Amino acid sequence: MSGATLVGEVSTAPPKPALPPDLDQESREWLHDLRAGGGVREAAVARLHALLLKAARFEVSRRRATHPHLRGDDFDDHSQQAADDALVSVLRRLDDFRGASRFTTWAYKFALLEAAVKLRKRAWQGREIPLEDDAWSSLLAEGMEPAALAEQGELVATLKVAIDSILTEHQRRVLVALAIDGVPIDVLADRLDTTRGALYKTLHDARRKLRAHLEASGLAPDAMLEETD
Amino acid sequence: MEPRDLNDVVGRLLGPAGPEIGCDACFEELDRYVELEVAGEDADAAIPGLWAHLDGCPACREEHESLRALVDGEAA
Repeated sequence: MSGATLVGEVSTAPPKPALPPDLDQESREWLHDLRAGGGVREAAVARLHALLLKAARFEVSRRRATHPHLRGDDFDDHSQQAADDALVSVLRRLDDFRGASRFTTWAYKFALLEAAVKLRKRAWQGREIPLEDDAWSSLLAEGMEPAALAEQGELVATLKVAIDSILTEHQRRVLVALAIDGVPIDVLADRLDTTRGALYKTLHDARRKLRAHLEASGLAPDAMLEETD
Repeated sequence: MEPRDLNDVVGRLLGPAGPEIGCDACFEELDRYVELEVAGEDADAAIPGLWAHLDGCPACREEHESLRALVDGEAA
């Protein structure tokens, strides 16, 4: 059973558990070498950087098709920077490794995160977050059949009225940017000078309020999804 | 915009219906979750709320997909 905190609950830091006795030998060796001194540690750090670079390149390669504006050199720069930053994070958080997975899997996620965040931010570099009114109007595209346009227009109007009436300005801004405009959460967090975790909490609260409002109004939120199929 | 796209937008506006964990908790548990998945175990039962979070958070979903693919590739 996980001790993960659900969104909306108060998080308390649990005591750090000891490493499980059945932790695999390779993970033990990573920890031993990274905590050693001198040449053993230096060699382990170099191996770790190579491991993180492999993961960063894997992520960058997976996202290459969705970033046509980037050249080959850019991709390699992103991978290197992501691996460098991930190395700092892994070494800083070494004591947080609980042995819940292999050490390499635990380390990989830092490199994947760094690479993914850098790519998302690069893709939005110099782009403005669209205005809320533009976001709503973009949902009703030109060229639709009149009947479909009317049906979608009614649904969009229902959602917009609900969002305008029950959410705070901050919640509305976050929800519209993330859900309608498709602004990546890391990019929005940067622009609003907050963290991804805090922003997701705002998004979660806004969604809950919206669902509750629609249900209280006699509308079944999940049926709205089916209607648009 | 096609009707399918509007459906996606409505889904993103409403988010997952069930309880979910947040981005920070998702990151903390992601490695364990992926290894449970790869081992064929019930990762959703072991870490409640993580799957719902992946449904509601495109960024964490991308990172889960990548870690899963990376670990799958090593296991192959």
